Amino acid sequence: MTNATSSSAKGQGSAPAFYNNPHNRAIFYQVVLVLVLGYFIYTIINNTLINMEDRGIKTGFDFLTTTAGFDILMSLVEYDASHTYFDTFIVGLLNTILVSIIGIFFATIIGFIMGVAYFSHNWLIRKLSVVYVEIFRNIPLLLQIFFWYFAVLSALPNARNSLSLGEALFLNIRGFYMPKPLEEAGAWVVYAAIVVAIIGTWLFLRFAHKKQDLEGTQLPTFWISLAILFGLPILATLVMGVPFTLEYPELKGFNFRGGITVIPELMALVISLSIYTGAFIAEAVRAGIQSVPKGQTEAARSIGLKEGKIMKLIIVPQAMRVIVPLLNSEYQSLVKNSTLATAIGYPDLFTVFVGTSLNQTGQAIEIVFMTIAVYFAVNMCISFVMNLFNRRVALVERK
Amino acid sequence: MTDTTSRFGKPARIFQPSAAQPAPIKSTGAYAWLRQNLFSSALNTIVTIAIVAFLATIIPPMFNWLFLDSNLSGSTQADCTGDGACWVFIKVWLQPLLYGSYPDGQIWRINLCLLLLFVTLAAPFWLPHRMRNKVDIAMLLVLPFVAIVILDGRLLGLEYVSTDYWGGFALNLFLASASIILGMPLGFLWALGRRSQMPMARSICVILIEFFRGTPVLALFFMGSVMLPLFFPEGTTVDKLLRVWIVLTLFMAGYMAEVYRGGFQAIPQGQYEAAASIGLSFWQTTLLVILPQVIKVSMPNILATAVMLFKNTTFLMIIGVFEVLSTAQNALTNSNWLGGFSTEAYLFVGIVYWICCFSMSSVASYIERKLDTSHRS
Repeated sequence: MTNATSSSAKGQGSAPAFYNNPHNRAIFYQVVLVLVLGYFIYTIINNTLINMEDRGIKTGFDFLTTTAGFDILMSLVEYDASHTYFDTFIVGLLNTILVSIIGIFFATIIGFIMGVAYFSHNWLIRKLSVVYVEIFRNIPLLLQIFFWYFAVLSALPNARNSLSLGEALFLNIRGFYMPKPLEEAGAWVVYAAIVVAIIGTWLFLRFAHKKQDLEGTQLPTFWISLAILFGLPILATLVMGVPFTLEYPELKGFNFRGGITVIPELMALVISLSIYTGAFIAEAVRAGIQSVPKGQTEAARSIGLKEGKIMKLIIVPQAMRVIVPLLNSEYQSLVKNSTLATAIGYPDLFTVFVGTSLNQTGQAIEIVFMTIAVYFAVNMCISFVMNLFNRRVALVERK
Repeated sequence: MTDTTSRFGKPARIFQPSAAQPAPIKSTGAYAWLRQNLFSSALNTIVTIAIVAFLATIIPPMFNWLFLDSNLSGSTQADCTGDGACWVFIKVWLQPLLYGSYPDGQIWRINLCLLLLFVTLAAPFWLPHRMRNKVDIAMLLVLPFVAIVILDGRLLGLEYVSTDYWGGFALNLFLASASIILGMPLGFLWALGRRSQMPMARSICVILIEFFRGTPVLALFFMGSVMLPLFFPEGTTVDKLLRVWIVLTLFMAGYMAEVYRGGFQAIPQGQYEAAASIGLSFWQTTLLVILPQVIKVSMPNILATAVMLFKNTTFLMIIGVFEVLSTAQNALTNSNWLGGFSTEAYLFVGIVYWICCFSMSSVASYIERKLDTSHRS
């Protein structure tokens, strides 16, 4: 509008017609868009309300406080059938977070190893990395989950004939059993030592950095921080006379009791998620390393840096700029893909809440939107952490 | 020495060749290749031996299981007598795995649709240059509906086959293609909307894109099967496959919009200015100048997204669509075939999938290499 009036005021006589003015057109289009969309949403809501009334579906979040009345295979917090639907939500949420964290941990390790292996001097390792990426990237994840769950893990022996390692680790068709550390009096000293060690390492690294900036001398930071990080907790454990006892799993009747049990559903899900996502991460790592121009390596060699230093100081920081945003989206897709747990019955948020709770209450809209909101929130957390990390590795241009 | 003493009393210097150096180590040929790539250092040698030993223990039993000890002849579980794989299982269940429970006599219709798909995909290679865009894009957009008419059969006076009988790998292929075909233009519209100056249009597009990208695809499928029926007016029933198709198309559009966004960022501002200077309108600029370049730049990502969608069609088994994996699970629980043939079944489905996805991924990386003009490494 302002353009039209000002140009006509100048007396150029070339002011566009009212309906040709882009500003007016934009308003018109948007009004039409909003009207159409509004009508569409209104119809949907109207239809939904009529349909729900017909089918006798209740609305609102009252169901969250009613008793759920079903058991859940695995729970990180105390849960039984007498708890409420809100408790099933929490149990499912924790199980989802558990599988996501373990999956991200292993996927990152596998992905980085395989991504770096692509640049190995050894032909066999190079080819192994290519074969790994190309096989697991191009097979549907659900098929891989089924393969591990129905073909591999169900072929394991029964409890009496478990595969065992040193009478402490057992693997059978019911799951994976490992000893559980039980704390005794004085265990808090060890926990405190771990915290002190982490803070101490951080302080030491800052000190070493500052010293190098001021004097140019380099300390063997890697070994010293390793010594602090592991030495202090081990020392504390020994001084306190090992304030832990291990509870070993024992075969009683047809099954093992005690220790920590990893159910096969969780195992299959973690294995397939980390192998599948690991292939994508390997691809990201490869792309990141390849994005660093060869001139960087050559320049680093020409000023006399050793190969290890070149990798640490020149290649990795530049490669991380490419890798971190890709890692962010891979982690998010791992969390979203963990919903496939429902196919093998691992009690994650999707199985417990969208599966069983929805079936029992019939309140589809509330439950589905709560679930979607959770996945959005988890992915936002991942995004937030990765963006913090990204800010550290991002290119700092001259101001 | 005395006879060689010069008249100045010093020994004369006589040329004495130093011992010949050994020939330089060969840097070409099979032996040199082996030394450089497998045995360049002590650690490498150990790793090489370890890997070879590992492969030597793994491959022969696998080879035996797959081929030598496997069972190929026969038609029942009892024919699988050897220790190896039971390919009889795959042979018997091949038709359901590929075509679902479509009637025997009507399978030519599925094959016809597959043929039409390949003809359309290959059309740019045999159509005259001038007609390529117009004809091929029109063919692609019409194809899903033609395929539905052929498979359904009522309009053509063929035997009616309800969507309950559609299934198998063909269904995965059809659903993926149909949603890719419709999702690509829709995603482009969303991407345009996201770049738009109009605040309402932009925010609506951002919400749509982020919603369909951020929600787990399984949750979308559940919404399609549990919530979508509530949205339609009372009394209308919408076919399950149609609902799935809608969900997949919107899902694809969300991801494609993000891919196009990356493509848009690669287009220099000069392209818009040049188009404006020769007087092209917004839609002329977008469709004739920008879109072709966006598609060219983002082709590797478009293909990667298509591969992802194609793989994700297996998730449909969870909401009860009879696609290939669900058929395989059905076959595994069939009372005549309870011998535990899961490895064979998953291997077969995996190989079929792998061939399709790997060829698409290879095309993507080929295009990426071809477009890459930087001088790295």
